[in-house]
Amino acid sequence: MIIKLDNINKTYFGAVPLHVLKGINLGIDKGELVSIMGASGSGKSTLLNILGILDNYDSGDYHLDGVLVKNLSENKAAELRNRKIGFVFQSFNLISYKNAVENVALPLFYQGVSRRKRNILAMEQLDRMGLADRAHHLPGELSGGQKQRVAIARSLITHPAIILADEPTGALDSHTSKEVMEVFRQLNSDGMTIVIVTHDPGVGAATDRIIRIADGIIQPEKPEIKL
Amino acid sequence: MKNPIFDIENWREIGTTLARNKTRTFLTAFGIFWGTAMLAMLWGGAGGLKGMLMRNFNGIDTNMGVIFAGRTTMSYQGFNKGMRWSIDEADITSIRRIAKDIEYASGVSQASVNIAYATKNKNASIAGVEADYFRIQAPQLIKGRLLNESDIYNTRKVALLGRSVADEIFGTEEPLGKFININGAYFQVVGIVAQLSEVSIGTRLDESAVLPATTMRRAFNRGDNVDFFIFTAKPGVDPDEVKPYIVRAIRQNHPIHPDDTPAIQMMNVAEQFRMVNNLFLGVSILALFVGAGTLIAGIIGVGNIMWIIVKERTQEIGIRRAIGAKPRDIIVQILSEGMLLTAVAGIAGICLATLVLLVVDHLSYDPILGSAHFQLEFSHAMIIMIVFLILGTCAGLIPSIKAMRIKPVEAMRDK
Repeated sequence: MIIKLDNINKTYFGAVPLHVLKGINLGIDKGELVSIMGASGSGKSTLLNILGILDNYDSGDYHLDGVLVKNLSENKAAELRNRKIGFVFQSFNLISYKNAVENVALPLFYQGVSRRKRNILAMEQLDRMGLADRAHHLPGELSGGQKQRVAIARSLITHPAIILADEPTGALDSHTSKEVMEVFRQLNSDGMTIVIVTHDPGVGAATDRIIRIADGIIQPEKPEIKL
Repeated sequence: MKNPIFDIENWREIGTTLARNKTRTFLTAFGIFWGTAMLAMLWGGAGGLKGMLMRNFNGIDTNMGVIFAGRTTMSYQGFNKGMRWSIDEADITSIRRIAKDIEYASGVSQASVNIAYATKNKNASIAGVEADYFRIQAPQLIKGRLLNESDIYNTRKVALLGRSVADEIFGTEEPLGKFININGAYFQVVGIVAQLSEVSIGTRLDESAVLPATTMRRAFNRGDNVDFFIFTAKPGVDPDEVKPYIVRAIRQNHPIHPDDTPAIQMMNVAEQFRMVNNLFLGVSILALFVGAGTLIAGIIGVGNIMWIIVKERTQEIGIRRAIGAKPRDIIVQILSEGMLLTAVAGIAGICLATLVLLVVDHLSYDPILGSAHFQLEFSHAMIIMIVFLILGTCAGLIPSIKAMRIKPVEAMRDK
């Protein structure tokens, strides 16, 4: 199992303590394409943050690719994020003043890979996304779909154990959304494990498994109705 | 992990960030630029002003005292008060014997005379001096030689001519070796001199002829008297400490009351020199103070801008953190922006200051007195740069720590 959550709890201590995740148990196998769906406030963003090592949890155990992710230092967390996880965001989160190839190469910069090598590897990923001819364009000069494909190229460059996509089609029109989902499916068929957080049923339907979360609890999977 | 300081992309990135907001970068850089320039100019300028004043003392041994004869103010040994007396040969001999802390000394006699050569003549001053005189107040020797012990011992009829006098009565003719007529007595010109300093004790050298003291007294019937006595104290001794010995020596030869201080007067050049020195110490401190104020204003500007940069780039920093930037990477990035800005603007400021000082030095150059040294010492420039870099880094530190603390999640929310 690439991802294994055991009884994860998370409470936000604001004016009123908010118990967001109530004992989440979840396993995701290598090579799966799953979606996590839930209404807003269901806890799916918190779950995503924990999966992405962007946030801590209060109790339970989270194993990512065999590593226990718990009470990590900022440096260790940064390193794990860099090496194990590829992020794809709703709003692309490309750095606006860097061109496509520089954006894709950025994670390798933090691994200390030389500029030359970074750029070669980044070009390979861009080529894989069919964007070789856009390599030297700034994000502002790319369409939404292209931006998202640049972001996917960036998420792939470190050969992560898993891709975490947060509403990857949320900012795209339906046609482009289909394109992006097609990219994910293609990557998945190449063996990549992908977790997509979404509230779009269309996106969910395009994945192999839907994990539904409501009120901080994973809902039991509905039995498939076979005709 | 490779240090991003050595990564060209890190620097390219900094360049791009700074270039993205040209006006703001320029204004911040200008604050630093102006701060360093002001500090450097004030520092070098204070040195130059001091140099301008100090060069007035060129050639003068400043540890100098001058003894004059005053009138007595107390009656003593049957003599009425108000008596005039003169320093004479006997006094000088006594002083030399008693005041051991004197290094160089010379009696000086002066007179107004008419100097003639061929058909030209000129009213000028003459000074009769001893050989040590030139060690106390060195002139610029334009040609020939100075007077020496032998000239004085042998009462030679030789003279040094001041530059202006020589120009006037000789014109283009070579004065060396020629005989000039001073109030009827003939003297051979052995040297042409000019005054190095602005300050002069007695007559201005350029407008005078200088004769051996012995020759002058004999040729012009001056008896044993001299007009004043100049001396330098040995290094580490103040002329004031020598004065009691001189007074004692003089009182052996003249009926002067022991408490009659106005009768024997002394001008302490060393003290005056010290006052000038202290004045300029004050000027330097003031200059540093004002410069430091400008500097701090510039640094605060940098801190401010770094703060704004961090605020503006919260999301970007969050993205970087999400894809694997460690807190240290972020600090280095933000700090190196501040340091680069400070370094470039600071070096430019020092360049401007050096240029301005160069021009001022050129304008204040005097062919005789030389340069006033309006210049920034290299070590001072380095101090300014290092202080600036340290302060610039400190100013960038608070914003970069804030940047470091940005959590990727916060940045993601910042949509």
